[in-house]
Amino acid sequence: MSKEEKKPFSQTMAEWRQFVYNPRSGEFLGRTAKSWGLILLFYLVFYGFLAALFTFTMWVMLQTLSGEIPKYRDRISSPGLMISPKPVTALEFYFNKSDSKSYAEYVSTLKQFLKSYDDSKQSKNIACTAGKLFEQNEERAVKQACQFNRTKLGSCSGVEDDTFGYAKGTPCVLVKMNRIIGLKPEGEPHIQCSPKEEGKVQITYFPDGGMIDLMYFPYYGKKLHADYLQPLVAVQLAINSSSTKEDVTIECKIMGSPNLRNEDDRDKFLGRISFKVQMSE
Amino acid sequence: EEKYTTSISKGLTSARAAEILARDGPNALTPPKSTPEIIKFLKQMVGGFSILLWVGALLCWIAFGIQTAQGVASAFDNLYLGVVLALVVILTGIFAYYQEAKSTNIMASFSKMIPQQALVIRDGEKKEVPAEQLVVGDMVEIKGGDRIPADIRLIFAQGCKVDNSSLTGESEPQSRSCDFTHENPLETKNIAFYSTTCLEGTATGMVINTGDHTIIGRIASLASGVGNEKTPIAIEIEHFVHIVAGVAVSIGVLFFIIAVSMKYKVLDSIIFLIGIIVANVPEGLLATVTVSLSLTAKRMAKKNCLVKNLEAVETLGSTSIICSDKTGTLTQNRMTVAHLWFDDQIYSADTSEEQTTQSFDQSSQSWAALSKIVTLCNRAEFKPGQENVPIMKRVVVGDASETALLKFAEVILGDVMGIRKRNRKLAEIPFNSTNKFQLSIHETEDPNDKRFLLVMKGAPERILERCSTIMINGEEQPLDRERAEAFQTAYMELGGLGERVLGFCHLYLPEDEFPDTYPFDTDSMNFPTSNLCFVGLLSMIDPPRSTVPDAVSKCRSAGIKVIMVTGDHPITAKAIAKSVGIISANSETVEDIAKRLNIPVEQVNKQDARAAVINGMELKDMTTEQLDEILINHSEIVFARTSPQQKLIIVEGCQRQDAVVAVTGDGVNDSPALKKADIGIAMGIAGSDAAKNAADMILLDDNFASIVTGVEEGRLIFDNLKKTIAYTLTKNIAELCPFLIYIIASIPLPIGTITILFIDLGTDIIPSVALAYEKAESDIMNRRPRHKKKDRLVNEQLAVYSYLQIGILQSVGAFLAYFTVYAEQGWLPNTLLGLRVNWEDDYYNDIEDSYGQEWTRYQRTYLQWSGYTAFFVSITIQQVADLIIRKTRRNSIFQQGLLRNKVIWVGIFSQIAIALILCYGLGSVTALNFTPLRVQYWFVAMPYAILIWVYDEIRKLFIRQYPGSWWDKNMYY
Repeated sequence: MSKEEKKPFSQTMAEWRQFVYNPRSGEFLGRTAKSWGLILLFYLVFYGFLAALFTFTMWVMLQTLSGEIPKYRDRISSPGLMISPKPVTALEFYFNKSDSKSYAEYVSTLKQFLKSYDDSKQSKNIACTAGKLFEQNEERAVKQACQFNRTKLGSCSGVEDDTFGYAKGTPCVLVKMNRIIGLKPEGEPHIQCSPKEEGKVQITYFPDGGMIDLMYFPYYGKKLHADYLQPLVAVQLAINSSSTKEDVTIECKIMGSPNLRNEDDRDKFLGRISFKVQMSE
Repeated sequence: EEKYTTSISKGLTSARAAEILARDGPNALTPPKSTPEIIKFLKQMVGGFSILLWVGALLCWIAFGIQTAQGVASAFDNLYLGVVLALVVILTGIFAYYQEAKSTNIMASFSKMIPQQALVIRDGEKKEVPAEQLVVGDMVEIKGGDRIPADIRLIFAQGCKVDNSSLTGESEPQSRSCDFTHENPLETKNIAFYSTTCLEGTATGMVINTGDHTIIGRIASLASGVGNEKTPIAIEIEHFVHIVAGVAVSIGVLFFIIAVSMKYKVLDSIIFLIGIIVANVPEGLLATVTVSLSLTAKRMAKKNCLVKNLEAVETLGSTSIICSDKTGTLTQNRMTVAHLWFDDQIYSADTSEEQTTQSFDQSSQSWAALSKIVTLCNRAEFKPGQENVPIMKRVVVGDASETALLKFAEVILGDVMGIRKRNRKLAEIPFNSTNKFQLSIHETEDPNDKRFLLVMKGAPERILERCSTIMINGEEQPLDRERAEAFQTAYMELGGLGERVLGFCHLYLPEDEFPDTYPFDTDSMNFPTSNLCFVGLLSMIDPPRSTVPDAVSKCRSAGIKVIMVTGDHPITAKAIAKSVGIISANSETVEDIAKRLNIPVEQVNKQDARAAVINGMELKDMTTEQLDEILINHSEIVFARTSPQQKLIIVEGCQRQDAVVAVTGDGVNDSPALKKADIGIAMGIAGSDAAKNAADMILLDDNFASIVTGVEEGRLIFDNLKKTIAYTLTKNIAELCPFLIYIIASIPLPIGTITILFIDLGTDIIPSVALAYEKAESDIMNRRPRHKKKDRLVNEQLAVYSYLQIGILQSVGAFLAYFTVYAEQGWLPNTLLGLRVNWEDDYYNDIEDSYGQEWTRYQRTYLQWSGYTAFFVSITIQQVADLIIRKTRRNSIFQQGLLRNKVIWVGIFSQIAIALILCYGLGSVTALNFTPLRVQYWFVAMPYAILIWVYDEIRKLFIRQYPGSWWDKNMYY
């Protein structure tokens, strides 16, 4: 009968057991040991060949790439902005200025981040002419990096105040521009931050006016430009006492350069960044 | 009979009739219960992969709910995906429903019936009432041409003949009288049945059964009591859905567990699960299968096979036994002169459908005499106004035998009506069952011959009794013993062929005894009716259709057993079976062997007989085992004198042998068997509505040969569906692998769920339908029908080859493109490994690539979409290669011809065009996740596409070179 009939459970089980191991034909999962051996051998060869082929084609593909600069850079034509320290979750700072534990994370991140800016690490770097692009056109030579002294960051340098102002209720946040190989900003790029609501917070920039000096550009890539230090702008926020315990949203943008975009509908970090600070006492 | 509180002369009173009508209900068959439309629709919504996709959609919404609660920015992606998945299910559901509804609608047009009127005697008056209002006890009057409105016991009949062919399959008209002749209501002469037609004569009778209680109603309810079996292709598709769903669910669950144990968040794991399900389920496939089937259905409709149920298209292809009705299917369902006997010699006549001349020797004087009798002693007439219609197609008023004779004469002599006019008829005695002859007296057309001609025809033995001479070569010779014996031999021989034999004789009345003005009186018979001159015999049969023998032999070579099941006499059935090849020329039945060896039937070894003719009476006493034994042991079987129930038993018997059974039939009596069969095939012209309703397929030209075309198409579509499924399954691995690697190696996601849907429901659809147009690789009509349980649509080899070989090849090619896109943008493969968590962090906007550049989240996302697009394009390119290799399963592509199937090329171009549009046209629509791709990325996977083709050619070469080898067993799907 073509109509399906419910088989008793025991029979189904027996059929399964028969399928898993059939003592009569020595079949295991429907195949004999020899058959399994053959099929496994086949797939071993097949996949071995495939793996070799894949490795080979990948190798060929990688041979076409240069070690210094990526083939295409069109996906990052304009840099994004980012801050340090970066709070773990969203870009929201919560701390209590009288509780050092609440900002310890931020402080240590900053310290760590600025370590590479220590003067001792910059001995190889040279002092460049401010206000001018530092182009090094020689082929394949190791590129030199311009010095960026921590002292430029003033009270946010961590030199005098090793809590970066968090203990005093004037937290420092470093704003940096993403590295992009070959990017040559035009004009006089500088960072400008503003709180969403006027008057809640006073902002101090280091270096003055949040300037990003052109001498730090262009960037030649990790391999050629190993000592490169990206220029930083520190913003110190002095939150009015009336606004403590409130969220203060601050938006920073890169300004003054026609080829650095800061208003993209989809990319909220392209040439701009906004973060929240909430301080309690 | 006052039992029915009626009166024979006055009928029922209107009030009483209304009362009974209220009690018994209207005199109509209750239509079979149909499933409500909404249920049908909902069934489509939950069938196949739908459940899996619903689960996917639900998981999406759950993920969306949780993510919005957590404030994740990309939460809406999941909402959209959920909506898209739901839409996919609903749209494919609507599509399937629409397809089904379309094929059902074709049927609706068939069942339109003209409301029937009946002439009934009520309150002592004759009234026309709609047949539906007839009740038990009504007296009705019937005349020739009427359809009988209910089961009626005749109380008065005059020359009444009914056509019971739709009920019993008997092609000959049955005469009806008031005599009770048999216990069995089907056999007795005094009952006329609902829905049969009264051919001639008049009758009055009392209604004894109405509506569902009539014989036909009982058969109809027998038919609706037979459950609808699942079609083989439905079982195959279910099997395939189970495989794919099983793979999807097990991989999904496995990786869900892996993800959770790899410390992924449960929510993320759920999102992975969705991806795996979507990647694994070929969303477009079921729609593709439906389209392929309906394309075949259309092609079959052009060849006169109208398919009611789409799935039946394939059923015909897997048919291993055809149980065919005789009358109307194998035969022309019209009496035709087959043989003649005169001058002591048998001549055969042409019985084909389109006969225009007859080629036997017509020079003898005897033939001239015989033809004159045939022409004159005949009451049948052509309906006027048919001069331009071929003779065989003209409509005739008269019974079947007389029609046959009339057409026969018209073909040979031409203008029969003119001959009759010139030989004016003076007197006539019509045929009746006591005389068993028909007689008429004519003037002759020769004006000098004043004699009258008496012509007579009738049952041969009765005619012979009345003859004293016999015409040989135009000469009258005495009818001696020897002549009589020759007559007997001829009569027996023709009778043995299952033919109906008529004898013809004449007599020229002497001029002196019967002058011009002689008053012929048929009541007193004042003319001689004996000592006539015997002229010849004519035998008639309902001849087989000329296309049938060829079709039967084609079925034979295709491994299909053809069994004849008929209500007709065994002798006739066997004769027809022999002439169409159902019983081949050199095979014998048990009885034949017994006769040849001169031993009793019981002593014959049953294994020796290939053929068997089984009578309904024998069948009644058989156990199921005995029936099985007959079905297994004999390859050529004829069942005669079978009842509707027995047809059902025979079909069930065949199905017990694991056969896929096709039943052809036209009558109401066939409908239960049609329903029970795996595929019921009804005749479109001769078929009754009940048969058409019960059938899955209708032969519009009533031609058995059309079935053969149908079988061919059905087998082809089965092969091509295999190819379609193999093609579709392959890329599922290329869609699945990215998710698995993504989870295990934590690389940025290579292909998005939405993109996968664009492959499954976009680029892949037209190519997979195009495979339905592929020509057969070898002569599919020379192989045996597939075994229902062994030859699966999706077998292990197909799944393994598609999934683990070509699918993996495709994945590797697509990954090459993925890594290329990332590497050329600055992300080398080693950087990508383990990057996932940071990569997907919305607030991590300065991730460093391999060259020291830093990327914002959106810049990464855009790159990720480029990756999707490259992956998508690579799959598309490799699917082109996949499409080409799927054209054949065994032959080389070059043997099959690259250009023969133009639709494949349409498929390839559509595939590439859709990819181009998605990539460059819609690349700016963010929600679709496509980006305009650099031209060279289209070619990255090309080497792998070529490799797929080359590898498959090698596979096919080995299969052809080493049939039966390990390679053949494991690699041929």
